[in-house]
Amino acid sequence: MAERETSRDIDQAASDWTARLDRGPLPPEGEDALQAWLRGDPRRRGALLRARAMSMMSESAQALGPGFDPVAFEEPGRARFAGLSRRQALAWTGGVAAAGALAALGVALPAAGAVISTERGEIRLAPLKDGSTVLLNTETRIRVRYSRGERRVTLLKGEAYFSVARDETRPFVVEVDGRRLSTAQAGFRVRKLDADPVDVLVNQGQVDVGASASANGLALTANTGLILSGPAERPWSVGPEAVTRELAWRDGKLAFEGESLSQAAEAFARYSDTRIQIPDPALAREPVTGLFAANDPAGFSRAIARVFDARVEQDGDKVVLTRGGPRGGGLPQEVFVTK
Amino acid sequence: MSAADRERTRWFLRNILPHEAALRGWLSRSAPAGVDPDDVIQESYAILAELETVDAIRHSRAYLFQVARSVIMRHVRRARIVPIHTVDDLERLDQPESAASPEQYAIDRDELRQLARAIAAMPLKTREAFILRRVRDLPQREIAARMRISENTVETHISRGILFLIDWFGRGGNKRSQTSRNMEAEIASIDGRARNQSRH
Repeated sequence: MAERETSRDIDQAASDWTARLDRGPLPPEGEDALQAWLRGDPRRRGALLRARAMSMMSESAQALGPGFDPVAFEEPGRARFAGLSRRQALAWTGGVAAAGALAALGVALPAAGAVISTERGEIRLAPLKDGSTVLLNTETRIRVRYSRGERRVTLLKGEAYFSVARDETRPFVVEVDGRRLSTAQAGFRVRKLDADPVDVLVNQGQVDVGASASANGLALTANTGLILSGPAERPWSVGPEAVTRELAWRDGKLAFEGESLSQAAEAFARYSDTRIQIPDPALAREPVTGLFAANDPAGFSRAIARVFDARVEQDGDKVVLTRGGPRGGGLPQEVFVTK
Repeated sequence: MSAADRERTRWFLRNILPHEAALRGWLSRSAPAGVDPDDVIQESYAILAELETVDAIRHSRAYLFQVARSVIMRHVRRARIVPIHTVDDLERLDQPESAASPEQYAIDRDELRQLARAIAAMPLKTREAFILRRVRDLPQREIAARMRISENTVETHISRGILFLIDWFGRGGNKRSQTSRNMEAEIASIDGRARNQSRH
């Protein structure tokens, strides 16, 4: 086979053309060059379509607003070599308009002692002054109080993921049910739901759990979980895949692996007013595996119905799953036309 | 871009692109040896770009998988020798996972957050140029003046940004290993490359 351009090379060239078109209209000779390029390989036209679609999609970044601060969206592990400091980043994006601008994402810069909360079904990212962020899951409330010696956040209810920027001199402390979880740098989840004891999961870094009247203090490292249940509490290690599943809500998703259908239905109930009902106890015990949009219990139910050959009926805020419906059927056939 | 082109691009963005990661996954598992999933994807998109009309396509995911399947068949036919197991493998291709996967329902706010994350992960100069272009909607010429770099270099940064998004979204939202490997080299070479590739 003759030496063939790789798909990667083509993507690169397609991106170059898209950037060139983004700069302004092509002169006639540029248009000729583009057409000649397109004729050179059947893959190129497809690559150009994708590159232009990506470019078009990125136009919606305008909704982030002029004060968009990318630092708040960086993955915790991002290398900061040669990096703009947060202050510089704000300076060149035109000042500290971040609060208003990020409102598009439901984000606000909290003042000292500010309470930040989410409604049912809402996920909210709250950047904090020191570069740390808190991602609040559905129906969550936190209070932020930064002082000279301590960065303190109280989890009042719900579930939050803390990405803590490194500061050895000023610990980041999460207070929950009278316990103190402190760290210099870490990424960790804390969950406090009505009926259950507080659940801590460390994704990266180290978190020190303070002692209480009935439990000793201890240090939690990455991929470790702890349920704050008193004298018997003991950390356990959590595999990386389980961590990913546990934290899938950060992307608006719910992940299940072998949970029963009724447990999954309960998980969805945290995120919307729609209730999934499964009258058949045998069906309710069926195990569920998969990744689903947390805000779409009806879509989940339809997917489940296909797998278990069940029937879905929606009645207002209720979605009822019953066994023995008509078969879900194969995929709808499309008329396939190509040249 | 003509209005028709823009319309097709918009349709593609909404109806096809969200399925790319799933298509790549399926191709990686199922395509016969010697058929590169990324080649198949580009060729499939080329077919979609050349269709007279897309109005009749109701189930775009199933349609995309069928187009990809036809591209594979074409590759197999073109090859001189078809190993027997390749033909067997094609039987498996008859059942692409065309049922709508629950993963594809994404809220808009979530999409915007994904985009913000992708931009945040770009190499720094590229990120700066990309934000000025896409978030602040400045023309490339003005970005060049602000960043004190040539217009060609701005164009190269925008190109890098688009390529970054192709990788980021096409491969399921993350390409960190590749990103970190290339980051420093890209920053170092970007001016040189811009000079070499300038097109006027």
